[in-house]
Amino acid sequence: MVVLTIDGIDCSYGSIKVLENIQFAIESGEFLGILGPNGSGKTTLLRSISRVLKPKKGTIFIGDADIYKLKPLEVAKQLAVVPQDTPITFDFTALEVVLMGRNPHMPRFRMESREDLDIAKNSMDLTDTWQFADRPITELSGGEKQRVIIARALTQEPQILLLDEPTTHLDICNQLEIMDLLKQLCTTKKLLIIAVFHDFNLAARYCDSIILLKEGKIMAVGESTKTLTSENVKQVFNVDTIVKTHPVTGTLHVIPISRPQNQHHKSILVHLICGGGTGSSLMKILTDEGYTVTAGVLHLLDTDHETAQMLKILTTNEAPFSPITDETHTANLGMINKTDAVIIAPIQFGEGNLRNLEAAEKALEKRIPTIILEDGPIKERDFTKGKATKYLMKLKNSGAITVQSISELLQFLDTLEENYNKDSNHRNPP
Amino acid sequence: MDKPKIALFFINLKTIRENSMKTDSETTHVRRVSHWKLYLLIMTIVFVIVFVLALNLGFAPISFSDILKILVKQVPVIDNLVDSSSVSRTAEVIIMQIRLPRIICGALVGAALATAGVIYQGIFRNPMADPYTIGASTGATLGAALVIVLGVGVSLLGVNTLQILAFVGSITTVLLVYNISRVGSKVPVTTLLLTGIAVSLFQTAIVTYIKVIAEENLLHSLTFWIIGSLAPTENWNDVWSILPLILIGIAVSFLFSRDLNILALGEDQAQHLGVDIEKVKRILLISGALITAASVSISGLIVFVGLVIPHLTRVVIGPDHRILLPTSAIVGASFLMICDAVARVTMGSGEAPVGIITALSGAPFFIYLLRRRRKGYLM
Repeated sequence: MVVLTIDGIDCSYGSIKVLENIQFAIESGEFLGILGPNGSGKTTLLRSISRVLKPKKGTIFIGDADIYKLKPLEVAKQLAVVPQDTPITFDFTALEVVLMGRNPHMPRFRMESREDLDIAKNSMDLTDTWQFADRPITELSGGEKQRVIIARALTQEPQILLLDEPTTHLDICNQLEIMDLLKQLCTTKKLLIIAVFHDFNLAARYCDSIILLKEGKIMAVGESTKTLTSENVKQVFNVDTIVKTHPVTGTLHVIPISRPQNQHHKSILVHLICGGGTGSSLMKILTDEGYTVTAGVLHLLDTDHETAQMLKILTTNEAPFSPITDETHTANLGMINKTDAVIIAPIQFGEGNLRNLEAAEKALEKRIPTIILEDGPIKERDFTKGKATKYLMKLKNSGAITVQSISELLQFLDTLEENYNKDSNHRNPP
Repeated sequence: MDKPKIALFFINLKTIRENSMKTDSETTHVRRVSHWKLYLLIMTIVFVIVFVLALNLGFAPISFSDILKILVKQVPVIDNLVDSSSVSRTAEVIIMQIRLPRIICGALVGAALATAGVIYQGIFRNPMADPYTIGASTGATLGAALVIVLGVGVSLLGVNTLQILAFVGSITTVLLVYNISRVGSKVPVTTLLLTGIAVSLFQTAIVTYIKVIAEENLLHSLTFWIIGSLAPTENWNDVWSILPLILIGIAVSFLFSRDLNILALGEDQAQHLGVDIEKVKRILLISGALITAASVSISGLIVFVGLVIPHLTRVVIGPDHRILLPTSAIVGASFLMICDAVARVTMGSGEAPVGIITALSGAPFFIYLLRRRRKGYLM
């Protein structure tokens, strides 16, 4: 049982401050992930904890011992490091590299004993590298080499293991294997692990807690569910994300959304009739294009409802799995009246959302252009015994426009936007 | 000649190593370690053979049996075991006062340069590094040039001023380069390497200027010194002046051979494995500099031994410094003894500087080795 305490450290390279007042403690059996953008000080923090870069202020304790007052050998007996990359100069074999992990435990004049070899073999079995024990390390692939380096770290028999993006060079299968192994060592051998990650999902899946670093400061620390929120991620990485619990793995899932390319704001308002996820990508595309989007009626907890919330799109909502009430319907009509176009996404229609087509009909009556985005025959998504099909036919006859693709839809909206701007020019001559 | 023998010897060792790789029961490492003793034994035998052959070679023909008798005669307890009455007094003087000190000097210088090469290649993690990388050579040349041109070459307690100034020049330059490169308590190797180049260029400029203004006859001896020769070492004073330094330097570097292995993983990782890298670098740089300066002071700049012997030995026995250091020293010693023997006999009385022989023979063999190896050996 060991406690690692990072006691308010400041680190700098020359006059450039890289870390500021970093403070946390972690104990055996815990798995801590460090996330942060490039240059946020993640690697520097690991170097500092591993006794390579002495902090300008504060220090690091293993138990009660200040590591900067211990001899390097003493620290190496307790703490091992797996760096991002290990450029090895001479062609040592993989086993020789792994055996170097015994260095802190070997007196200067002793050769490796049978026991040292057994420990090395055991670590190589764990990382599945024993099969190339005899191969020169310089001939191994990036992933194989990284697994050898992890074996070397385990051969040190440390209580604390630091890893700097340990899985960057590995393919997906190796990534999971190595992470599973680390997690297992963490729980069974009570290893204390601190790892820097670039992959949110890997971190969320394996770490007990997470530190978010930005510009050398801790922005958030705690359980992954509390730290990896889309607000925090936006603040630290300046990226929009959707954070969800994945239904299969049961762990947090952070999905980045592309940053809007078009900040040019468009004049017209469009209203989406969607649901069941059919409108999510449309919402994103339309907002990226610069349109102001509203949507309704959406059922709460519907995927489209979540997306709308994330994109800050105004919606009229109905309780989950309930038919649309008069009240909501009226609210929706109110919203539609303010828009310049109504888009009907290729939704599945049931009795619950049939009234949305009624709203579209009202829009047509008010001469608001209504566009039906078609994606396959309507019959396949009509669960109202033909009512929805009939309704759509009726809409088409009353002037609704049918488009087959999103690009066609965007073209149409472009024309509307142009006309709108011409009209407003007429109305307000310069 | 001796050349084919040494080539054959390397090829044989190579075969041993390759054959041993084919068995699956044990791993390379275990086998490699068990072969270390064999390598050392073979190399020591080769060393002794070369040593005796070198004593035999020369202008005056002296038989092997006479050489053996002369040598045994010098050893106190067993000196009565052989009848040395048949050996001429001249032969004894040639062997004991001329050939033996020169050959021992050759062996010491060869061992020192090869060891320094291993040390510097290890510290700098750069296959281009050699004993002269951080200015040991140009510092010594500057010292020697001053003595030669200013004509202050006097002998002092058996060691002449040229040697002393070459030694001082070499050590001062290395210390200067080391201190310029130091940032706080750390010495980044890249800075060290670049500072070494800068200081060397500066000193070379001064030496070149001295050459321009030097008189013709002095220029010849300066050039001879720069190329490197063991001809001036035919006396025991030279042996005694460098022997302690070189033996201590080699012994100290051997103590840190495991640290040199770990340094191959980079400085950060070496620290992670408990190596006090700044201390280790300091100690190794200084022992490397001492043994280089000692060699340079008696033989001038013998190039190529320090660069090639470590690579050559590494190809045969692998990169582990615990065996690489001692074997490189023995191979370096043998190699320089052979080259010097060739230098002594090729041109009759007006012999060729050994530095020319090392480069002429070593370079093609080295290139052959590089071509034969699969790509990527050096990096």
